[in-house]
Amino acid sequence: MLSKKDRQRFERLTMPHLSQAYNLARWLVKDPAEAEDIVQTAYMKAFEAFHHFTGNNTTAWMMTIVRNTAYNWLSKQKRNSNLISFDEILHGAEHEQEPGQYAININPEQVLHIAASKTQLAQLMARLPTEFREVLFLREIEGYSYQEITDITQVPKGTVMSRLSRARQQMQKLCLEQQKREQANGM
Amino acid sequence: MECKDVSARIESYLDGELTLSDKREVEKHLPACPACQARLENLRALHVGINSLSSEHVPASLKKNIHLGLKDVTGEDNRSGNLFGWLGFSGGAMALVSVIVWAMISVTFVVPQQSRISEEIITAHVRSLLVDHATDVISTDSHTVKPWFNGKLDFSPQVKNFAAQGFALQGGRLEYINNRTSSALVYKRRAHIINVFIMRSDNAEQADSSTLISRQGFNVYQWTTNGLAYWVVSDLNKTELHEFKQLLQQS
Repeated sequence: MLSKKDRQRFERLTMPHLSQAYNLARWLVKDPAEAEDIVQTAYMKAFEAFHHFTGNNTTAWMMTIVRNTAYNWLSKQKRNSNLISFDEILHGAEHEQEPGQYAININPEQVLHIAASKTQLAQLMARLPTEFREVLFLREIEGYSYQEITDITQVPKGTVMSRLSRARQQMQKLCLEQQKREQANGM
Repeated sequence: MECKDVSARIESYLDGELTLSDKREVEKHLPACPACQARLENLRALHVGINSLSSEHVPASLKKNIHLGLKDVTGEDNRSGNLFGWLGFSGGAMALVSVIVWAMISVTFVVPQQSRISEEIITAHVRSLLVDHATDVISTDSHTVKPWFNGKLDFSPQVKNFAAQGFALQGGRLEYINNRTSSALVYKRRAHIINVFIMRSDNAEQADSSTLISRQGFNVYQWTTNGLAYWVVSDLNKTELHEFKQLLQQS
């Protein structure tokens, strides 16, 4: 049975990561209310497993539980729906490739132009497949290293690198398309 | 290092993941190669853009619910004025008492019966969602819902709207559970439907302390008070359902 002391220690260790956990869940499920539910469920699960936690990387441990809870929720949603999500269309088959194979020729200014509008950039990022949103959040926003992302997502480092590369390429493509649309509309 | 080698390492370079010797090789190549420079600038621009996306603030309700949920697990008292509190019991003693009481009840026949009813309760809950027939009387006004049960039941269920606390009354309907007519009150928390089944209880004794059953992704709270058995069921998380249960018990 977990005691009050366990609870206090758990809170001291995990509550500082709440913001990261909540934002990861938001990026993954794209629904603030569901993200709240997911984070709360994840914290309860983590607490129940607290006796087994022997590592020293609380952040990675918490983030792993949050992302697994979010993925469970997402797969449940998928099962409940007959629709093929836009994610999957854009995603296609993810295959292992060497990073750097995805170079596309666009002007940095084109990316900068879109990147200047945070709302637009966030909307574009929200259109990416879940795994791509995840890796971009972990690397570009939270600044995790490849090894830390490997620990959190439990996929090989090579996969993390190729995912990150493909995610960046997709983002650049979306930025470019967005700018073309704006130009066509005379904006 | 050739251009294709640099190209393959450019992201790792940007991410600060190269070994010192590879880093030097890349830096040697860059000034001489506009294509690799452009790629790097591109990736940098994207990084700056995404990195500037601000984090959303954590809702205060989330912090509070986690805190309460954790205390629930340890058996620490979340309520300010409950019976055990008045009697001067500590949280630990209270948890111990609940365990002993529960163990005593378990050895009798109550558990199988409770398990069977909880299955019936979950089925009724799911059925109400499936056929889009959660309510026979649709109203958020407790003064409409309560009288609707008059003459349909041999008891008068308490009907209160907790919209102010985030649990809005949707209406009510009749159910037939455990071989008796039961009232079902329907509440909503965000997209989650909560069914509250109230029926006459066989057990004369008071069991204010509630039991939580989690099954098939649903959480069910059960308790008995004033000769009525209460069953609260939803796919809502335990903490918020616990909050709702406390509102019902205190009303």
